[in-house]
Amino acid sequence: MSTNLVLTIALPLLGAFLLPVLMRSSVAIALWSGPAILVYGCWTVAELWLSGFAQPLSIAIGGFAPPLGINLYVDSLALLFAFAVQLLGLVFWPFTLDQESARRQSLMLLLVAASTGLALSGDLFNLYVFYELAAVATFGLASASGSGAAYVATLRYLILSGIGSVLTLFGIALIYSQTGTLNLAHLAQLAPAQLNNSLGLTAFLAILIGIGVKAELFPVNTWVPEIYATASTRLSAFLAGLLSKLALLIILRLLLLIFHQPEAAQVILILGILGVISGELAAWRAKEMKRMLAFSSIGQLGMIFIAMALPDGKGMLAVLALALHHLIIKSGLFMLAEDWGGALERLRGSAKASPLGAVLFVLFSLSLVGMPPLPGFWAKFVLITELAAQVEPLYLLGLTVFLLATVVEASYLFRIAATLYSNPAPDTLSEEIPKSKGLSLATASLFGAGMIAVALLIAPVGDGLQAIAAQAQDVDLYITTVSPAVSGGSQ
Amino acid sequence: MIPAVTPELILYTTAIGLIAIGLAGVVLSSHLFRMVLALVIAEAGANLMLVLAGYRWDAVAPILTSRAEPAAMVDPVPQALVLTAIVIGVGIQALAVSILIRIRQRFATLDRKEAAERMDAEIAATLGAPRDISQEAPLGERPLPTLPADQINMRGDSP
Amino acid sequence: MMLTLLDELLLFSGATLLVALFIGRGLAAGWMVTILYGGQLLALLKMAVLGYGGGTIASSLSFEIMGQELSWRFDGLSWFFALITIGSALLSSWFSCGAWERSYIRQGGNIWLFHTAMALNVFTMLILLASGDLLSLFIGWELVSWAGFLLMVLAGGVATSAAMRYITYAMAGGMAIFGGLALIYTASGSLQLEAVTTAVEQMSGAKLWLLVILFGGGFGVKMGLMPFHLWQAPAYAETPGPGSAFLGAISSRMGLFAILLVLVKLFGIVNIESLKLPFTPIDARDLLAWIAVFTIILPTFTAMKQNDARHLLAWHGIGQGGYMLLGVVVADAMGGAGGLLHVFNHATYQAALFMAVTAVIYRTGTSDLNKLGGLVVRMPLSFVVLLIGIIGLAGLPPMNGFVSKWLVYRSLLNQGMPLLFLAAVIGTLGTILSVYKLIHNIFLGQLRVEHEHVSEAPWSMMIPMLILSAIIFVTGLLPGIPLEWVASALQTVGLPVPDHTLGGIESASGSLDMIWVIGVLFAGFGVGALVFYSAGRSKRVHQLDNYAGGHFLSADVRYQYSDNFYAGLMHLIGGWYRGSFLWLERSIRSLVEFLSLGMQGLYRRANAEFYLLTTALFVIAWVVI
Repeated sequence: MSTNLVLTIALPLLGAFLLPVLMRSSVAIALWSGPAILVYGCWTVAELWLSGFAQPLSIAIGGFAPPLGINLYVDSLALLFAFAVQLLGLVFWPFTLDQESARRQSLMLLLVAASTGLALSGDLFNLYVFYELAAVATFGLASASGSGAAYVATLRYLILSGIGSVLTLFGIALIYSQTGTLNLAHLAQLAPAQLNNSLGLTAFLAILIGIGVKAELFPVNTWVPEIYATASTRLSAFLAGLLSKLALLIILRLLLLIFHQPEAAQVILILGILGVISGELAAWRAKEMKRMLAFSSIGQLGMIFIAMALPDGKGMLAVLALALHHLIIKSGLFMLAEDWGGALERLRGSAKASPLGAVLFVLFSLSLVGMPPLPGFWAKFVLITELAAQVEPLYLLGLTVFLLATVVEASYLFRIAATLYSNPAPDTLSEEIPKSKGLSLATASLFGAGMIAVALLIAPVGDGLQAIAAQAQDVDLYITTVSPAVSGGSQ
Repeated sequence: MIPAVTPELILYTTAIGLIAIGLAGVVLSSHLFRMVLALVIAEAGANLMLVLAGYRWDAVAPILTSRAEPAAMVDPVPQALVLTAIVIGVGIQALAVSILIRIRQRFATLDRKEAAERMDAEIAATLGAPRDISQEAPLGERPLPTLPADQINMRGDSP
Repeated sequence: MMLTLLDELLLFSGATLLVALFIGRGLAAGWMVTILYGGQLLALLKMAVLGYGGGTIASSLSFEIMGQELSWRFDGLSWFFALITIGSALLSSWFSCGAWERSYIRQGGNIWLFHTAMALNVFTMLILLASGDLLSLFIGWELVSWAGFLLMVLAGGVATSAAMRYITYAMAGGMAIFGGLALIYTASGSLQLEAVTTAVEQMSGAKLWLLVILFGGGFGVKMGLMPFHLWQAPAYAETPGPGSAFLGAISSRMGLFAILLVLVKLFGIVNIESLKLPFTPIDARDLLAWIAVFTIILPTFTAMKQNDARHLLAWHGIGQGGYMLLGVVVADAMGGAGGLLHVFNHATYQAALFMAVTAVIYRTGTSDLNKLGGLVVRMPLSFVVLLIGIIGLAGLPPMNGFVSKWLVYRSLLNQGMPLLFLAAVIGTLGTILSVYKLIHNIFLGQLRVEHEHVSEAPWSMMIPMLILSAIIFVTGLLPGIPLEWVASALQTVGLPVPDHTLGGIESASGSLDMIWVIGVLFAGFGVGALVFYSAGRSKRVHQLDNYAGGHFLSADVRYQYSDNFYAGLMHLIGGWYRGSFLWLERSIRSLVEFLSLGMQGLYRRANAEFYLLTTALFVIAWVVI
């Protein structure tokens, strides 16, 4: 049963390589095989979840038991993200039919496979490999629009990401030279003795900055505004909504399982605060919707980093809530931006042309700035109560920055909302006003419905998240699940 | 006190030195292709580092030749890892070079600054929004020189 | 499940919102909504026991979310504010039905959105008033803020920028409260009111100071307290007529409600008084009192310079909020009663004034004080309403504003605060001067040619105005009626209750009986009228039957003095209008703009790798050290 989970990685990977070949023989099969694979993936994960999933489990690949073999670690958190990857892969599937579509679809499948791997893998080097695979797929998709700007943006992203990989690899090498293992559970056992030193810290920081490239960590996030402005909106939505969260998930796992040094949390906190300041302020002046969303997503990710920096995994629930909230809201906002590109001034009067889109925009914005009773409020509430409980001044600085940034956020988001609802300039024709329509509007509505559902069911959702957070926080559980023999070992 | 010069020290220094040279190259060079090359050097350094992490001087290669258990073997895992990392690295380099060719075709330049300028201009043009800020042309003056017609190649045929 | 009375009220209010939302485009929608507001008022009156002595009525609605318990209930304080809320909504909505509605639609307004926004405002305010713990208070607070935004942004154009300014201020206030909430939660482990009171007792001075600043500032934004007052006047004034009557009457009083609940009831005036400002003789309570006084003086004198009737009134609304806070902060029996009674009184005359001005706009199409005049002969009833309203606003007998202001003054004198008293009197002086400008420039003086054929406002607008005028007078004559409710509210927040009679206040340090005051006043009027009419020498002439400078007047000559009103006074005090707060606001804005520019520059330049390398080096250096 649970071994089917391996297929959620293997099938998309297989599909990615077979699709271009299939496309030559039968277009229909090729077109539908991608979505079919993703639907199967969704179903597999959902089935596992619904069939009374309570205890985390570890799946050894190829029959070698960890720490020698490579394993997948499946807990509620991993399952949640695996499901989100498959589902969003389906939602953002490039349904267009043209010359490029075969390439685009196989890249998308590759991205889904790699992302699922990121969510499930329990081995540091395996994570690195999946991370690089996701990067390659991203580069391909980002340059797919074929404009010169897209190529330059992709190359700049590639170089930045390349340096990130070098740093990550460097960090992995350091860890291996200290411990002789790369299995996360095994590392968690050895870490207090062997990695609790400045070498271990260096390794973590190298990995943090390396993986931070994808997690939009300040200051290695300069690619964000360029890529989101040149790549297709669907890809931007996937990157901002999901991939950044998966990179975040890796950092979170490392922080929880292996690196307990307070310095590690401090660096994350400082970088998070800087991310919030830079992102939200830059968004305040943005003249165009996609850029604004890009900058705002840097700010939001900064907030999640602040939550992550809370000591002893106290921020776990906040990280989870903020991340999932941002996933839903940003994806929805990007889908709206698909038809609302261009200068913000052009959007005047769009609310009349597409009332549903405008209402969704307002709802998403309200949740983003944390208006109760929308889900964003609860996510922010969890964060600030945890922050206020800290005595260190740096955390209180984080709290202050967080609150001020929310004011700036409300200011620029509602400037757009007001533009949408204002009357168009007298000399514009009604055809010139951009309308939100078709598939993108439908997708945005889907996210809107999801948000409202969460708002209505906030009590059970909150309890569920709490359970997931508690499970992910339990280091002993992780170790015993992966290698039962050493239960109660060196901890 | 000067530490004794052992082969280990030399190799570790080399690895870190390669990474440093690569990173410096990426930051300092003004040509996109050189940046990619510098990245390759840095990657080589990181790979060397990984190999060193599992190497033992007093051991043999991890190949089981006979039934007899050898005394000590080099840790095989990092070597397998490095192989993977090299493959990934090469793939990404190939991708980078192919993108470089496209950039050369579109913008007729591989100068890092000029390419960035042209990218900004094109983004601003497609989005219909003013560029967020411009340090080069404060009042919207100084337009970019027009591309020489014979050098642009939209279809990507070889020139 | 048994529905409690509060459930009924909230359901009724929610139903009103739904009706407005779904059939708000229909012809009789306005009337239907008005009737439903009447129903809400009845539902509220069923809970009248709260207004006469106390107790609480809980709602059966309660949640537990992420370990937080949320509950809602009504007590005397909530009931008092809810009465004003629903009452002003009922009359404003009534005012908007019929004639005004039709002209609003003709001018391209969206009446459906207007009714919906009003109903939403009332609903969210009731939720706020019913909050049973700090978390539900914050939820209600944010809901009210955004509902207010919806109503303010309706008119488009200038209103949009005013509303944007409002929402930035409101968000800043909201976030201050949010931060305070987090700090309290850390200290007490719960957001239930009892737990908070216990936690405050053990809190250190510095922390309590911080909380007072965060909550006082956050709630003060909504009240338009001193450094945060800039948003309010334009936002209220630019809202469509009945909307501004409603907002002006009650909206910013939600801030006072929250201050009463948190600062007075939970923190306690005694605790606030114990917070000393370092290196000065004043404490936190004095600070609040002085903020209140400056909030009275500055906006009132700003109002005097306004040339738009709606803006003039809206600026006064801010100033009058200062009296309420002042009374509450003095916190003796008379001060507390005066402050709370002023909430009621202010709501009545402010709504009447805004309605009268809206009626003038309805007939003449303008509220520009330089383009009106002499309308008393064309709109006499509106004139009477405005006159009653400004007498109330200026705090003169026989209207209700006199009673509440008298109580506040009296308490300042009783408590030995002569400077505050003096400052409050200066504020009242400014009020009298500027309301005279209002009535003079609209109704007195020369009738303009283009208004020759203007007629009285239609009855659909007139009746609510007359009802309000009657309330203003009756509660001026018999202040004991609202004082009952005020006493119940004071009891709820733990302030002392004055001895009151139907005609006023019984107190050893000075009593007031309005029945006597008004009796004497009217006796005086009677004598004057007797003298006037018995002389019998008056003759009615046309306004233009007159001459000036040796010429007979004709209708096209402007001889009314309305522009640059109070030129002499302005010559004296004009130099004091510095616009410092505007300057402050602008400089904050340009600071943000500047920082934003810098941040964009950071993300734009080609040095991405350089950042990465610098950070890596910095971080590694940090580890090594």
